[in-house]
Formats: sequence, structure tokens, C-alpha cells
Amino acid sequence: MALTADHTRAFYTAWADRFAAEREALIALDGQVGDSDLGITMSKGFAAARDAVAAAPEAGIAEQMKLAGGALARAAPSTMGTLMATGFLRGFKALDGADTFGTGQAATFWRAFAEGVAQRGKARPGDKTVLDVLDPIATALDGRDDPLADALEAATVAAGHALEATRNMVAQHGKAAAFQEKSRGLPDAGGTVAVMLVEVMRDVARQL
Amino acid sequence: MKKFLNTPEAFVDEMLDGIYRAHPQVTHTAGDLRCYVTANPVPGKVGIVTGGGSGHLPTFLGYVGDGMIDGCAVGGVFQSPSSDQILEVTKHVDQGAGVLYLYGNYTGDIMNFDMAGELAELEDIATATVVGNDDVASSVVGEEHKRRGVAGIFFLYKAAGAAAAQMLPLTEVARITDKARARTRTMGVALSPCIVPEVGRPGFQIGENEMEIGMGIHGEPGISREPLQPADTVVDKMMERIFAETDYKTGDEVAVLINGLGATPLEELYILYRRVAILMEERGVTIRHRWLGEFATSMEMAGASISVLHLDDELEPLIAAPVSTPFFTHVGG
Repeated sequence: MALTADHTRAFYTAWADRFAAEREALIALDGQVGDSDLGITMSKGFAAARDAVAAAPEAGIAEQMKLAGGALARAAPSTMGTLMATGFLRGFKALDGADTFGTGQAATFWRAFAEGVAQRGKARPGDKTVLDVLDPIATALDGRDDPLADALEAATVAAGHALEATRNMVAQHGKAAAFQEKSRGLPDAGGTVAVMLVEVMRDVARQL
Repeated sequence: MKKFLNTPEAFVDEMLDGIYRAHPQVTHTAGDLRCYVTANPVPGKVGIVTGGGSGHLPTFLGYVGDGMIDGCAVGGVFQSPSSDQILEVTKHVDQGAGVLYLYGNYTGDIMNFDMAGELAELEDIATATVVGNDDVASSVVGEEHKRRGVAGIFFLYKAAGAAAAQMLPLTEVARITDKARARTRTMGVALSPCIVPEVGRPGFQIGENEMEIGMGIHGEPGISREPLQPADTVVDKMMERIFAETDYKTGDEVAVLINGLGATPLEELYILYRRVAILMEERGVTIRHRWLGEFATSMEMAGASISVLHLDDELEPLIAAPVSTPFFTHVGG
């Protein structure tokens, strides 16, 4: 079943809850090869996104993404916060005017999200970034016509495999790039965030 | 570390507070000292917004004022401002004709300005972007997009500001600024390191009898570490790089900026200028405009940079136009 704006509203609450719960785990993961701010960025950013969407009960599906993107940019001015903000704003542009959120819209959203992140972060596949998980999510959804919850389950599985694959990559961007070989063997922290994003979307879609 | 500080953490905000108290020509917006804007916006004019890390005065904020640029998002020492700060400055500066983003080529700044531009678009403010990349030493010919922006951005502010003051539309202001960008080259040389207040010690060393040619304004590694040589030889080495990738011809005109990095006396800058003037004279090139002093510093780093803008009939009057900012005044001509 395709979701309405009332349903997609639940994404933002669920993301805020998940990133609040994962705050310490993300700090620890990022601390191995970064500056430990990822957990703080994500919990603060998605709490702000949740509040922005909650404050606009009339907002449609795309409008919610715009509000979330703006809130993320303000509340989480780190690299990952800015990339997430870009993803949501590109989702807004791609889905502007959409009345429902089904498998086709999910595919559009994730493709726009991944392309926005690639453009803003100037990363390429294989650079060991969030893109190495976002791109497989978008690809897994591409052209599917099964129900949303099933499609998102497939995307979540693809995301998990893609995250595992980042263990064999060497970081090329951000503070992790300074660690180069030391980053090998570890899953990418940004990619871990992308897995959580799609898992939460799947869980919300399943419950409705 | 020997600096006039109250606390290292207050370095940027107390500097800004001092500037606002000294210069009523500038103010801040959005309740944030780091959102620095002109107090005299011109209705209907294209706004010009810059931004970047602190530690380089007069760059970047020093060029906000009459006839130059309109706003500056101020970051911590050597740190990018946030996209939200850039957006707030953009909203304040926009006078209905759109806003030009003009800043140096650094990853964090690019990401945050691009993000701010996307947020501004959602508020129906048109933006265009020109990214300064004048530092010849930071990448080879053919890879100019990887070059850092350093002191030569002064010429871009000058050209952009004068073009906007003529009430040209955003696309024209951007085109002219980009032309100035493409015709500007800078080479720098460092003699001693700089100290970030919150770090409290130099991040690297340069030996007593050494210089580093091509070092960046944050201490990025240069092209070569060499024994210090006579000033003329140093200028010859620097200008050789600039001449190698420009096509100045007899009768051409240039503007020259001799910039001190923070701890080099003006006397020494004139010794450098002397040799630049001789080299230009030998080539039959006229130095139509020249400025010497501190334009883009790196805290207390000793050293200097030479920037050259290859003028043409369109750029010359823009570089000559009068401006008045708290840090830079030019009466015109």
C-alpha cells in the first residue's frame, strides 16, 4: 500500500528515535577513524528534523523532506549533516507535488538522495563513504513494482551487503582519509548511517 | 605562544566585537557575531557574499564595505562557517537582484556555500558562485580546479564589487568576476610558521635559514623547502612560475599585489616589489595598479605572496574604481 503524507510523517519520528538510540554506538564507530562527532550530528540533526516536520501538520510528502533538510542543515553543520540535508532537499525536489509514497516514489527519493550526496560530497563509488551504501539502496529499488514494504526489505538487504563491502575499502575523504590503511577492515561510519535510514523506513512501511 | 588573548576560545568573537565597536560601517545579523554584513546595503544591487575561516585579516571580512562586497560568514580559525550562517548573511544582503558567492577553493567552504545556495533557492534568492583558485603552487596547469584560493581573491572582490556597483545583473557580475579569476595568479613563500590560538604551538617548523616556496595560508605544504636566498632570487623563482603560465605581452597592463603574511615588515615587501617591477619592465609590461601591505595573512606567519592580475579593457576600470571599507580604501584612478 502506498503511504500518504500522514504516514510519511512517522518516518521522521522513527529516524529521530533510532539515531537517539544509536548515538553512543555511532560516536564509538566514528571515533576509530574520525573525530567522534557522527553520533552527535545524527541525533541532533534528526531530532531537529522531527520537530520541524511536527510543527507543520499541513506539510505534504515532499514538503516534509524540505523541512527536514533545512532543519538538518541548521542543526547539524558537519559534513555528514550537510550531506543528509542535501539528500532530503533533493528528495523534495524530485517528489514535489507527490500525493502518495509508494515503491516508485521510494525509488525516486533514494536515487535523488544518492545523487545529491555524490554531487555535494564529490565522492565516487568505492571511496568508502555513505555513497557506497546509498547507491546500492537506490539501485535495489530501481524498476521494482512490488509493495513498498517488500521493496524496502530488498533495499535494506542490499544496504547490509553494501556496508559489509565497505570493510575492504580504504577511506579517501574526510578525516578518515588521514587514516587510510587503518580504515581497512572497518565498516564505513557514514554507510552505517545509511543502513539505519533505510531500515527505519522499512520498519515504518511494514507497520502501516 | 605569545599572543594578546583573553582566552583562545574567545579569539574570534572578541576580534569581531572589537571590529563592530571600531567600525559602524559594518554590523552583524541573525543575532550572530559571525554573520558580518555591511550597514549600508544598496537597494537593487547584486549582493556579494564571501566567507571562510578566521586568521587571515583583512581577508575575508575586511573587504565588506562601500564599493566592494556586502557580507561575510566568519568561521573559527582556519574553519569554514556553517551553511546556516552563510544563508543568514545571504538573506540579509539580498536586495532583490540575487547574490554572488565569492570565496576560496577549500572543500569545507565549497560544501557549505553550495548547501547555503540550495537553501537560498528555497527562499527564492538567486545565487551564482565564483571560487578563487589563484595559488599557482597548489596544483599544476590543467588541474587548476584543485588550486587553493589565496591573496589574489582581493582582485576578484575588487572587480566583483565594482561590477555590482554599476548595477549590472547577477549573470554579468558573475561573468566578470570569473574572468578576473581566470586572469589572476599568486605565488607565496613562507619564512616561519603560524600558531592557531586553540592549539597554542606551531603545527610545523621552518628552520632559521630556510624558506618554503608555495606554502598555503594555513601552512599547507608548498613546492620546495630551500635555504633562504637573496630577495631578488626569491622573487625570480616565484615570478618564473607565474610567467610560465601567463602570456603577458609588451604593452599589456597588470595589477600587482604584494601581500605580507602577518609578520613581515612593509620594508621587505617594497624590496620584493622592486624586483617584480624590474621583471615587468624587462617584459614591457606596465604595472597599472599596485598595492602593498597585509591583505591575506596567516596569523603571525612571516613571508609574502605576489599576486598578478592580467588586466584588459573591461577589468581595468573596475580595478581602478573607488572603494571604502574598514580595512581597505582606494580613492579611484
